[in-house]
Amino acid sequence: MEVVGRRVAVVGMGGVFPTCAHLNEFSDKLFSNKSLIREWDTATAYGKQIRSTVSGFITEAEVNLEKVYSTLLVNYPEVYIDLLNRIPDANLATADIGSIWAMLGTLDAIKMAGWTNAETQSEGTGVVVGSGGGGHEILRHAWHNFFELGKKSRFVGSHTVDRAMVYRDAANVSCLIKNRGVCESIGSACATGLGNIGYAYRLIKFGLQDRVVAGGVEGTSLETFIGFDAMQVLSRGFAPQESSRPFDKDRNGFVCSFGAGIVCLEEYEMAKARGANVLAVIENYHNNSDGDGDMFYPSFNGQQRLWKGLLGETGIKPDVVKAHGTSTPAGDAIELLSIVDCLGTKDYHISAPKSQFGHMLGAAGAVEFITAILMLQKQKVLPCLNANHLNAEQENFQKTDKWQGPTSPLADFRDILPQQSFEKEINSITCLNYGFGGTNSAILISKDNS
Amino acid sequence: MERQEIIEGLVEILKTIRTINQEKLANVTEETDFIADLETPSTELINIAAKAEQKFDVEFDDDDIDDLGSKVKDIVDLIIRTKEKG
Repeated sequence: MEVVGRRVAVVGMGGVFPTCAHLNEFSDKLFSNKSLIREWDTATAYGKQIRSTVSGFITEAEVNLEKVYSTLLVNYPEVYIDLLNRIPDANLATADIGSIWAMLGTLDAIKMAGWTNAETQSEGTGVVVGSGGGGHEILRHAWHNFFELGKKSRFVGSHTVDRAMVYRDAANVSCLIKNRGVCESIGSACATGLGNIGYAYRLIKFGLQDRVVAGGVEGTSLETFIGFDAMQVLSRGFAPQESSRPFDKDRNGFVCSFGAGIVCLEEYEMAKARGANVLAVIENYHNNSDGDGDMFYPSFNGQQRLWKGLLGETGIKPDVVKAHGTSTPAGDAIELLSIVDCLGTKDYHISAPKSQFGHMLGAAGAVEFITAILMLQKQKVLPCLNANHLNAEQENFQKTDKWQGPTSPLADFRDILPQQSFEKEINSITCLNYGFGGTNSAILISKDNS
Repeated sequence: MERQEIIEGLVEILKTIRTINQEKLANVTEETDFIADLETPSTELINIAAKAEQKFDVEFDDDDIDDLGSKVKDIVDLIIRTKEKG
């Protein structure tokens, strides 16, 4: 249970983002209303086999990594070389690309947090980092060589397990920083990034840890892209920079992207006592399930309960709602209507960062949490890029008898859906993320006003 | 194939395994121990064995790999023994 008086501060952040060399460039591009989405040559190489071809992707070269192929197996990436020597070879040997991104983000976040080695390596420091998908690029070639080419198991090498296991990102981060507290991963599909941060918040709030490295990762994976492409849920038919368009009436799917977001959380009084720069204070985290037995379709009732659980007795009405806003037809509409149902139609704005870099899946909640911190720092709202035209007609589900939410068409909410970044006094922000399986997550952060 | 020729081939393999301390590869002898002397993580020994199979065109028995020692001479012996078996 919560320990009375214990609060949680955000003191560091880092990550790996499409088309950006570092966090500052990421911030500059976002607040300049730029899109980080490009045509993905890895997808276009498969021609008509793949329906969607745009992504917020990251090449190895862009992160100063070099892939070394095995001499034993065809196309198997045996190890990566860090051309900037940020990560020791021993740690690179056990890491897939997503785990390397997690380690790079962790190094930046801890540096920003200013933790000493003694603090980082103490029993009071945990690691909670998760990923949405498996280590597909590792497994694809390993299993192809075993099953199709008949190679012996030892030719696959001794790192298939550690480079592809479910909690590989957390394990690699923990081995890098040598913390002595918990090391775990939370998996909740597209809510994974926020789920890990929320769980880390609880570890500190409940008195189980004093510091946690937390976040989400989605390493480059053609398998992940293909899986969603097969469901026909990816955006197609637009120029890359216009392909992610949350809330726009012409949206036709999300942009499958990759990346990593890592934050350092710390017990508030400890952070203040050592003179840390508190980037934000986490006021509350709440998560729940729809309970309607539907793997995919969003639940208005589930989101209503989410909001109630999050805001509870806090008395806070957020100045900005960082929406999940994937650019899918049903998801965006239900989400917008549930926000309006809870907060009304005035005195706050909705930001949809996926409009700028796509949907980073397991990393989405963590990277978007970082965008919320940036909004607090800059006192600027990030836009809902490409939300150019809102539906002036009711959604079909709004016309049914069982619909219990707002009956206004989405176009009535134009004023809270900015198309460009703008300055505004921001004291608190709510972040929302949902995932397959009917899982919903929300976090409430505020400026440190002490 | 001469034993020294095999050792030189093994060193070429070791150069591809980045977790091994590369500075220590200059003076590898038959008595060099992969773990104690070259600081090779034990998980990499199977990679060395598999790459040796490929480089020297031999196929080790699983039992021989299970019983393989951690010195350079152990794998040199195994390569020669396996080649002699044909």
